[in-house]
Amino acid sequence: KLFHFGPCRISMSMNEIRAGFAAIKDNIQGRDPIRTVSILSHPHSLHKIKSSEKCCIIHHLFNFYVDKVFKYCTTEDSYVNRKISSIANSFLSIKRNLAPCHNQNMCKCGQESTEKFKQILTNYRGLNVTSAAMKSLGELDILLDWMEKSR
Amino acid sequence: GELYCSLPNPRNVHFESINMKNVLHWSAPDGTGDGVLYKVKYSVYGVGKWIRKSECRNISRTWCDLSSETADYEEQYYASVKAFLHGMCSDWTETARFSPLTETKIDPPMVSISSTEKSISIILTAPEKWKGSPEEESISLAQVYPGLQYNVSILNKKTKKRWWFSVSNTTLVVPWLEPGTVYCVSAQIHVTTPLLHSAFSKEYCIATLKDK
Repeated sequence: KLFHFGPCRISMSMNEIRAGFAAIKDNIQGRDPIRTVSILSHPHSLHKIKSSEKCCIIHHLFNFYVDKVFKYCTTEDSYVNRKISSIANSFLSIKRNLAPCHNQNMCKCGQESTEKFKQILTNYRGLNVTSAAMKSLGELDILLDWMEKSR
Repeated sequence: GELYCSLPNPRNVHFESINMKNVLHWSAPDGTGDGVLYKVKYSVYGVGKWIRKSECRNISRTWCDLSSETADYEEQYYASVKAFLHGMCSDWTETARFSPLTETKIDPPMVSISSTEKSISIILTAPEKWKGSPEEESISLAQVYPGLQYNVSILNKKTKKRWWFSVSNTTLVVPWLEPGTVYCVSAQIHVTTPLLHSAFSKEYCIATLKDK
């Protein structure tokens, strides 16, 4: 499937990622007891970001998930771990697909997306690494829902 | 203040959602007969403030409609139930995180058909998102799910031959049919991601006009 993020277009196997996440959603979200904090959607929803700045935030978010989330999400359940690494591999290839467009300086980062991503990092750093990574992974559907609206 | 909570917990606390009408359901605590009362609270994930649902306070039924409270499908939610019996209470028992967008069930589309001598026209209408009152603006689920498609099946009742179509728009004209023949149409909604699909609608049958 083709997704448009501002000037950048990426093809993505969204169904595969969705299916992988659906298989472990309750397991991962069940490991996150903190209801009062969301990494991605509060205080400001991803859905409020202007479409022209989506490219910048998606670029940051893929780096965020690859560098700060997947590698800290190991569980005692090998089935869950396999699903996590399959999703991580999908994210790695999407990140690679996005790089050319981003490197051609077509991904403008305005104030809104910069502020939003700063907020995401603040939310992330407000927790210890493992909790923050597991919570971020548990919010993958929030990211996927937002990306879907960008088709 | 709360009493000593030694009552078993309500069981199987979960949301049942159809066209984003989101109703909380649960089962009575193990080993309790009649007389159990319940209260319900809910929270928006990431906001964390638990909010009591006043219309579901001291109720004996085992469901509570939280559609209004969970109407924003860009958010995710938790709900929780507590049971009371003979001065005792249970602990609060929570749902898993509920995401209306990916967890609602979708009803089949409405199908209306008309015919000419050699063709059938089919108009497909997706169900509307639940709304709190008739005055509220109607939102079609086709607006909620940009990737919404219709799978349409057409059966020639005489030859028993069946065709399948997958369309995104709401009108389908099927040409090159036999005059004076009965055709039956059934349709299903299919959303590619998130992966959702409705049941098939009932069959709607119509005869093509006879040759003049």
